[in-house]
Amino acid sequence: MRVLVVYCHPVPDSFCAALRDVAIGTLTAQGWDVRLVDLYADGFDPVLGTDERRHYHDRAPADPALATHIGNLKWAEAILFVYPTWWYGLPAMLKGWLDRVWATDVAFKLPADGGRIVSLVPHITRIGVVTTCGAPWWMSMLMGQPGRKTILRGIRALCARRSRTLYVAHYDMDRSTPQSRAAFLKKVRRKVARF
Amino acid sequence: MNVLVLYAHPVETSFHAALHRLIVERLSAAGHIVDDCDLYAEDFDPRMSRAERLAYHDGHTPSEEIGRYVERLRRAEALVLAFPVWNFGYPAILKGFFDRVFLPGVSFTMIDGEAVPSLHNIRKVAAISTYGGSRLRAFLMGDPPRKLVTRLLRATVKPGAQVSYLAHYSMNLSTEESRKSFKARVAAKMDRF
Repeated sequence: MRVLVVYCHPVPDSFCAALRDVAIGTLTAQGWDVRLVDLYADGFDPVLGTDERRHYHDRAPADPALATHIGNLKWAEAILFVYPTWWYGLPAMLKGWLDRVWATDVAFKLPADGGRIVSLVPHITRIGVVTTCGAPWWMSMLMGQPGRKTILRGIRALCARRSRTLYVAHYDMDRSTPQSRAAFLKKVRRKVARF
Repeated sequence: MNVLVLYAHPVETSFHAALHRLIVERLSAAGHIVDDCDLYAEDFDPRMSRAERLAYHDGHTPSEEIGRYVERLRRAEALVLAFPVWNFGYPAILKGFFDRVFLPGVSFTMIDGEAVPSLHNIRKVAAISTYGGSRLRAFLMGDPPRKLVTRLLRATVKPGAQVSYLAHYSMNLSTEESRKSFKARVAAKMDRF
């Protein structure tokens, strides 16, 4: 299967980078065809600009900087997001990737008569998230896990019907220990192997 | 009251731009001191940098750019958010404001690895949002932006602060009438703010 790994963290030697490497290693070992998007390394601009917004409902975004990303969406059969959860949501950088790439005539079409939204990415059948949350599990539940829902409900709704999902999170990162992080890396390996 | 308005829409001719003008106009008319922060006009960069992330928990003085935003946030007694919902979340430019400006020591304090909210200078919050999809669709998706305001922001600001969330759903099917009535709701909210 073809899997796009979308990775977002500003610090190259962060724990998230280790998660990315474990995820990619596991997927490759399973025979998956992996493509990596590293938003910070690529210097991606997450701000949906005036012109792009103006034509949002008329046509696919024209910025050549998005061409590779749009190509990746067409190519992928699965997407695995690896990022830190900040303020219970996605880092702005990653949110902007959704804002700009998951656009009209790329990810979906809106019928002019106001009918149901039509998916243009029904070939994506798996959506996964590997993340770290500063907050403990119970606090994340209390806040309603907005970040998880943006991806596993909002983005998933644009993909194949009944896409498979995966969500693995290291909660309470602010109190993590070498042991908890090692255990989490193991867990990610196990879960991603079954993705 | 000192009201910080955080506005996040790139198009000057959009419905949201009209809402933004209305918000600022009505708040000023009601005698509030409005700090109008138009994130697009100010060219805010929402990306937290490597240096910022590395210094995040050290209590370092933020950069001059971020320091100015921190100052504006600290001066505020109320917060009004005006934003379109894109892909069931804040626009990146607004999300980045939380990532980069709502820092430890500003909006929360880390005590033994636990984040304790401390943005107690904010006594009132209102969010004005527009959704392309229907309310039902947003509900099925768990309505993340609504939760970010009514749960997370509520928990971050002064305990007991009034938090309200006004949304125009189904913007893609909106009519002259639906927009007019939403504007009236927003105007009334700002008049009483």
